[in-house]
Amino acid sequence: MKIFIFHLMPYSDLDMSYADKYRAAWVVLPNSYFDPKKGHELYNRYLDELELAAELGFDGISVNEHHQNAYGLMPSPVVMAAALSRRTRNARIAILGNAFCLREHPLTLAEEHAMIDCITGGRLISGMVRGIGAEYYSLGANPAFSHARFQEAHDLVVQAWTRPGPFAFEGEHYHFEYVNLWPRPYQQPHPPIWAPSTGSTETIEWAAHPSRRYVYLQAYSPAQSVVRYLNYYRECARRMYGYTASSDQIGWSTPVYVADTDEKARQEAKPHIECLFNRLLRLPFEMLFPPGYLSAKSLKNMRSHKRSVSGQEHTIDTLIEQGIIVCGSPDTVRKQFMDAHRLLGFQNLLCLLQFATLPRDLTEKNIRLFASEIMPALQGLTDKEYGGMAVQAAE
Amino acid sequence: MLQHTEIDVRGCKLNLHRGGHGEPLLFLHGAQGLSDHEPGIEALTANFDVIAPDHPGFGKSDQCAAIDDINDLALFYLDLLDALELDQLHIVGQCIGGWLALEIAIRTTAPIKSLVLVNSAGLRIKGVPRADMFVCSEADLLKLLFAAEGAAEWLASWRASPDLEDIYDRNRAAAARYSWSPRLCNPKLEHWLHRIDVPTHIIWGEQDRVIPPAYAAALKDRIAGATMATLPDCAHMLHIEQPQAFASEVSQFIRRAAR
Repeated sequence: MKIFIFHLMPYSDLDMSYADKYRAAWVVLPNSYFDPKKGHELYNRYLDELELAAELGFDGISVNEHHQNAYGLMPSPVVMAAALSRRTRNARIAILGNAFCLREHPLTLAEEHAMIDCITGGRLISGMVRGIGAEYYSLGANPAFSHARFQEAHDLVVQAWTRPGPFAFEGEHYHFEYVNLWPRPYQQPHPPIWAPSTGSTETIEWAAHPSRRYVYLQAYSPAQSVVRYLNYYRECARRMYGYTASSDQIGWSTPVYVADTDEKARQEAKPHIECLFNRLLRLPFEMLFPPGYLSAKSLKNMRSHKRSVSGQEHTIDTLIEQGIIVCGSPDTVRKQFMDAHRLLGFQNLLCLLQFATLPRDLTEKNIRLFASEIMPALQGLTDKEYGGMAVQAAE
Repeated sequence: MLQHTEIDVRGCKLNLHRGGHGEPLLFLHGAQGLSDHEPGIEALTANFDVIAPDHPGFGKSDQCAAIDDINDLALFYLDLLDALELDQLHIVGQCIGGWLALEIAIRTTAPIKSLVLVNSAGLRIKGVPRADMFVCSEADLLKLLFAAEGAAEWLASWRASPDLEDIYDRNRAAAARYSWSPRLCNPKLEHWLHRIDVPTHIIWGEQDRVIPPAYAAALKDRIAGATMATLPDCAHMLHIEQPQAFASEVSQFIRRAAR
């Protein structure tokens, strides 16, 4: 199994009483809450944390994109990937992901990814996402064309990376007379493409298509959704497309906190993980799902789901119980991942080891404990330990 | 009473609400679509042959792949007028529907006898803030759309059945498709308003915050000979909040224009 550390780079100095005045830490939260001096410290601290993970033997370090919010300070993950590319030697650098389709000009991102891939000698992983609903308010892109633009931006970028140029791209949303990428990516035919999602059958079916076979990464989900969607990928490959998906095509992303004992882990993580879910992820329905962002069917499902959980504040106990986060002693955490692997066989694991207000010292302790106590056992896991669908049927 | 009929316009199935007798009047609805109970539009059937389509993607009309923006919609409606063999008609448009009426009229006023713009989108006056009806919560949306009475009733009418709930969501998605960016306007529209050479009346809800009354004055300044009326005790959904006042404003204006 490949182990990645994932960072959101939150604005952890946020005055959390913002919630008394503003309905979200996104879109409408005034940027007067952001202090550039704190920003300077945070960016450098967070980069240190990722570099530390690379030194400790994580297979990859990963960053992502969000706009105009306090939850994640990386409107351009490319900037972070570039900063990391010269400070690391072996770790994969995973941008999970970039929302190519939010841009009027996705080729600028295609160029930047190719540059990073060349600089790092082929260590880049390119995640492609639509961006969450809030980005469509912040950047003005029309959510009603989000799906169509996502697919077209993907086609444009892959062609730009692989087809000899110059050629013309004649799409519905994108039109370019000269596509002729300098530089071309280092990896051939192109950097691996991953599709991170919080659970969308449309995304899974798209990622699993035999012409793509992209890594599907399930993020931020209760354990039962992780099971449902990761299995759906394998089923989809088999039933819809007639091939057996490799376990390398499957990944899970989750917040993780490790301490000496279960109790200590809970106690140390509690204020910070609750801040993540209740404060930084505070997003009203209208912001999360702008009109047209979801298909009619998905919106209907989401509405009924949201009605049943609306008003619910997360506590660390509910988060652990539902399997949205993994938290405990090294034995507890290791066992939980090994059990999950036996059940689901994912060969990629992304761990969010810093979250919300988790301070520098606890973050470093978390990274070091995870690297020494848990990672070696997981890195040795292969398909031999995966029980396959039969295990689930039996259980 | 309005009856539903369906018409196929070059492959796009359009749902029409139609009723009444008199000169033809095309009602172009706004971002909220047409609800099941539209007393203002029904009141117009006393004097007019009212034709109120669900725009493509709204209500029970198809979403046509080729219709992406307000320009496509304007041309599509010119096709609809040809298909219905309508000319000499009055156009009444609210919100996005008013914007659409303007986009049709700057292309041609040949089939148009008069124009009524109700809390119309389309223009952008720099520095005049407009509330965003997409980002706000449902409770805030109701406060934006309605000055007082009728908001809860209107929302309840959409919650009456799962089909209507679906249409409510569908309408929001279609509204975003046509008006997300630039929000509710075509920045170039004002350069072409001189082409409108038919009697034009502007009706505005005094408390509209989606398109504040400053926009009514701006339209009046830019459309030759336009007249204007501001109605008290109503906001963006004037035709629902003040159905009788709305219908009589429209009817009286058309009568005046005929003289």
